[in-house]
Amino acid sequence: MALDVGKFIKAPEYDIKIITRRDVFQASVCEEDCFSDECLELSALIVLDAAEMKRMGIQDGANVRLTSIWGSVVVRAMASPREEQKGLGFMVNGPWVNALVSDETPGGIPAFKDIEVKISISKDGMTGIKELFLL
Amino acid sequence: MEMTEPITWTCTGCALLCEDIQVYIKDNRVEKVEHACLKGKARVYGCKHTAMSTVDQEEVDVNNAIRQAAEILEEARNPLLYGWSNSTSEAQVAGIELAQTLGACIDSTSSFCQGITINEIINGSVPSCTLDEVREKADVVIYWGADPMSSHPRHLSRYSYFPRGELRQRGYEEDRTAICIDVTQSRTAKICKGMFFSIPPGGDAEFMQALMDGLAGRVPKLSYDFDVKRILELAAVLKKAEFGVIFAGLGLVYSIKEEFDLISEFMSTLNRFSNFFLIPMAGHFNMRGFNHNLHEETGFIHRVGFTKNGPVSGVEYSVVEQLKHGADAVMVVGSDPLASLPLSISRRLKDIPLILVDPCSNLTTRVADVTIPCGVSGIEVGGTAIRLDGKKMDISPLIQGDGLSDEMIVRRIMEEVS
Ligand code: SF4
Repeated sequence: MALDVGKFIKAPEYDIKIITRRDVFQASVCEEDCFSDECLELSALIVLDAAEMKRMGIQDGANVRLTSIWGSVVVRAMASPREEQKGLGFMVNGPWVNALVSDETPGGIPAFKDIEVKISISKDGMTGIKELFLL
Repeated sequence: MEMTEPITWTCTGCALLCEDIQVYIKDNRVEKVEHACLKGKARVYGCKHTAMSTVDQEEVDVNNAIRQAAEILEEARNPLLYGWSNSTSEAQVAGIELAQTLGACIDSTSSFCQGITINEIINGSVPSCTLDEVREKADVVIYWGADPMSSHPRHLSRYSYFPRGELRQRGYEEDRTAICIDVTQSRTAKICKGMFFSIPPGGDAEFMQALMDGLAGRVPKLSYDFDVKRILELAAVLKKAEFGVIFAGLGLVYSIKEEFDLISEFMSTLNRFSNFFLIPMAGHFNMRGFNHNLHEETGFIHRVGFTKNGPVSGVEYSVVEQLKHGADAVMVVGSDPLASLPLSISRRLKDIPLILVDPCSNLTTRVADVTIPCGVSGIEVGGTAIRLDGKKMDISPLIQGDGLSDEMIVRRIMEEVS
């Protein structure tokens, strides 16, 4: 059996900051069924600047692993149709991004818009909702 | 109830509470919805998986579930009652009474959303106005850290930008200027075209300070790269406003939460030159209602503990602090904390007795010890709610549901515990 050497080479990691936001399309499908594939497709998604993605070697639509000290998830990366600030990634509010948010809550408010993570290309499938919570 | 004529309905899809929705109903089912946005329609048609009445994840009679919930709350030394932003004011008032009866903590989603802004408005530190005034009079609107095109889809078309108003007969084409200050060119920012100001994350306080300098005729200084000329141009637009409004989004609130006094300072500075108001972009349909109702009862808008010495409020009574190290039992009403709170915090819900009152089966359902299904507020249950600008609205039910309302469930639990 041929050895898949690529499996043992760690994909390069980059530091980014995630900012959460709302999306009416995601909100509607998740209101209807938070366990649906459509809800997963629109929630387990990170939007990045296209040039930044190129620099990091991430292709539009590729799976990426996001890791903070609080958790790790695999989501799909999407290039923003507009130029974005460097070093930022955008995710809609939801369980996937919430797996990465710190439990430090100065003033009783979690850092939903200031989430520091490492991003790297991933060969794993997107993290499913059950996997996320080990339900 | 059989109908061929549409019913005019108030949408509970978000805190804009659009009261012009046309709904056609036949045989107690929604046939067609007009005027609502996608989010509003999703609210009307409801969730696919409705909640069931359960104890320990086994289906039981609803009366048993209510009894079990009462038992859990009675046994707890430090229960937390949380959620409430998707409930009518009547249910919220019942929840506050239950918290008082139990000597419990009560908090809502406003705790990590717009509560801080609503507090400033209720206490009179920040001037606010109604959305109707915005529609009739506003000539300068600022979306600051807010993207209503994605969160409150009919905001711009019904009130803040596109409509003709009493003093704005030429609408957005000539009479209104829309400005967006944000870290990304959101859907709303695209509409603001040349008036989009892209700032770095956490750069809001400095931008506000720079604008105050600009208003006072000083040269603004910023630690990040920004064309000072554009700030001076913006200050000139704000100075000339006849009726200006800032729609404060969570981008702004989170960025300056630790120096929130800056908001009132900014508003006072602005109002030395022109006429500006601030409206918080509350999300859930009755988030603001909870703040008003609790304030009326206790003098605090959220994060309240009912102690022997009366109600007290502080960050230690906030849902996140209570979940981290406080509450030994939780009742959630109309929320899905497992989906909406950081997992590093919500994880603890698996380890303490958890009661969930909700119309839908959600992530939290999967770990709840007791689930009690309730009717959907604004669809099967009527009452009142408070719009994001503070206006009280009537909510009438659309169809007849078979379940109890959340208010009834809370009152039944109260009967059991007292
Ligand atoms: S904007 Fe909000 S209240 Fe209006 S229809 Fe859409 S969801 Fe409903």
